[in-house]
Amino acid sequence: MIDLIHVTKRFGATTAVDDISLSVAQGELCVLVGTSGCGKSTTLRMINRLIEHSDGEIHIDGQQIRAFREETLRRRMGYAIQSTGLFPHWTVARNIGLVPRLLKWPQARIRERVEELMTLLGLPVSEFADKYPRQLSGGQAQRVGVARALAADPDILLMDEPFGALDPITRETLQEELRALQGRLHKTIVFVTHDMDEALRLADRLVVMDQGRIKQQGHPLELLREPADAFVESLLGGEDRGLKEAALLPVSERMLPLSPRLLARERVAHDASLREALSIMLWRHAERLTVVDDEDLPIGELSLRRLVGAKAHE
Amino acid sequence: MPEETPRPNIVLWSLLLAALPAWLGLDAVSVAPNRIVPGSGHSAAEVAGLPGLVASLVPALAVLWLAWRPTRERLRLALGLVVAMLAALPAWLALAAAELVDPALPQARMGIGGGVWVGLFLLLLALIELRTRLTLSRPLGWALLLVPLASLALCLSLWLEPLALRREYAGRSQQFLAAIGEHLLLVGSAVGLSLVIGVGLALAMRRWPRARELGFAVLNFLQTIPSLALFGLLLAPLAWLSARVDWLAALGVSGIGWAPALLALVGYSLLPMVRNTYVALEEVDPGVVDAARGMGMSRGQVFRQVRLPLALPVILEGIRITSVQAIGLTAVAALIGAGGLGTFIFQGLGQAAMDLVLLGALPILVMALAADALLGALTDLLRPGGAT
Ligand SMILES: Nc1ncnc2c1ncn2[C@@H]1O[C@H](COP(=O)(O)OP(=O)(O)OP(=O)(O)O)[C@@H](O)[C@H]1O
Ligand SMILES: [Mg+2]
Repeated sequence: MIDLIHVTKRFGATTAVDDISLSVAQGELCVLVGTSGCGKSTTLRMINRLIEHSDGEIHIDGQQIRAFREETLRRRMGYAIQSTGLFPHWTVARNIGLVPRLLKWPQARIRERVEELMTLLGLPVSEFADKYPRQLSGGQAQRVGVARALAADPDILLMDEPFGALDPITRETLQEELRALQGRLHKTIVFVTHDMDEALRLADRLVVMDQGRIKQQGHPLELLREPADAFVESLLGGEDRGLKEAALLPVSERMLPLSPRLLARERVAHDASLREALSIMLWRHAERLTVVDDEDLPIGELSLRRLVGAKAHE
Repeated sequence: MPEETPRPNIVLWSLLLAALPAWLGLDAVSVAPNRIVPGSGHSAAEVAGLPGLVASLVPALAVLWLAWRPTRERLRLALGLVVAMLAALPAWLALAAAELVDPALPQARMGIGGGVWVGLFLLLLALIELRTRLTLSRPLGWALLLVPLASLALCLSLWLEPLALRREYAGRSQQFLAAIGEHLLLVGSAVGLSLVIGVGLALAMRRWPRARELGFAVLNFLQTIPSLALFGLLLAPLAWLSARVDWLAALGVSGIGWAPALLALVGYSLLPMVRNTYVALEEVDPGVVDAARGMGMSRGQVFRQVRLPLALPVILEGIRITSVQAIGLTAVAALIGAGGLGTFIFQGLGQAAMDLVLLGALPILVMALAADALLGALTDLLRPGGAT
């Protein structure tokens, strides 16, 4: 659990972060978004004291972060960044084992943990353990970066545009993996990104920043439906917000039970998003879809009218 | 892969086409009855007669023919021929000595002429070219050189006693070894001292940015003073110091000798050392350092485990440049009585005895090449993540 209370950061005359208050609950994935230079990285780096805050208080589990030694504090938090920051002169295994080694875990336990993490992140141990970072693709390197951040099983993860340098497909894969990982590990995560789709896909709590201040925060749907001002609205996509919202809602939420009518020919999975359903309708020129479950058995139907009507914008 | 007929290797052709007229036209050796009289030159044809000359041309022409269609196998063959020619050169000199030097004259000597020097130089370049074309590793390239070196050692010990260079050496073998020792000691202490001071300065410059500009300005200025002038400038203050401070005098510090030489050498070595160390430490990827700190490494751990190992190849590069430069500069230090191989060079120049000059210059050349090669290999070895 992370609390920022009236936190300010000044670099000389410029105020990079201006009196922000933010609370991230245990197990919550909090995403910071905003235009370049608005203070996202500064906010993140104040939490592990890579940057010291000028005013206000930052608490971890109710304790002031300044009560800890810097190193002790950082070893309790995972840290992953866009450039990966992997040590080029260390192998993948050694990179991942960094924090456990700093914490003086016994050798055998470190090795066990490294192998566990490599498996968790889809990096076959026999293939990757002895490789050097320069021998990895961008996606593999980011996986190693995330594994390294998770190594000592920290409660808190700080991630600064970790997927920023990847192609859209790899990026989406890693986003899904992060969501799945989060479903199992329930870390408290602060995640910085430029990419609004990434933010909406990942966030439990979305924080919009502008010029060092928090403009609005809350669940992504909340922000989409009720943006506080024009800035938040345009950042969230302006006219595209309808599609972005549809991308967050599952088909199952809007489907109707099967009617006695003939089954519609085109199908959609019950856990697909409304956006995908709409896309299928557009593509297939269909106004009605059959909703199927995991076994591909029909469990309901979704009409175009129902789909758009469901987005209660009254 | 199927080998298309490759284009002629221009480099080998140019080298050999330059070597042939030198070998045919220039004096290969010169012979003198004693040290005072200037020698009389002899061309390669005079030494071995027409058949010998033709025999010496065959491998060169063969290399030309091989280089016309340089497939890998043909280049390997050419490499063998070049190494063989290099190895044959000392034997050829031994032959010339037996032919031309009158055994009745104990002072008679044979000097090596332009033809042989040019040939040797161009053959070595051909060797380098072949090593690069065949992508042989550096150590293998050096190992190839062992063959001609062994041949040289053998010929020197058995038949090449009349060689002027060897006569000069025989007259001062003790001095020669002592000079090599002095030379290495001066270079070693200059590089060692400048490494310690240079790393210290680089660290200080990183900590206090103000010190940086001043430091580099001073070091750049030092570098521009000609070496002889710097020795001269140090003369007065050091003489004054040794007159005032007893323990300095007891150490042998004075206006001339090793003390000003060492000071000047350190002065010159500092710039490349500091510059490389500073740049190396400064240019470590900031993302890597950020991650290291973010993971909870202490400042000391970041420096020792991340910054230093990543900077090491570039720092070693600085040591390499410094060493090669110091090996050359130490020769000049002989002028102010610092000893070393430069002594022979300046004695030889004074007595117009070119072979004595060579006795000093050749080992300096070898030392510089060896330092360059060794430290270069070490740098490659230490590149992060193994070989690049
Ligand atoms: N070390 C520093 N010294 C001075 N100013 C800084 C420093 N770090 C950041 N700033 C300033 O603080 C402001 C916020 O920077 P920050 O890196 O937090 O932005 P950001 O939101 O992460 O931007 P981006 O999306 O481009 O990464 C910027 O105006 C930046 O110039
Ligand atoms: Mg940033």
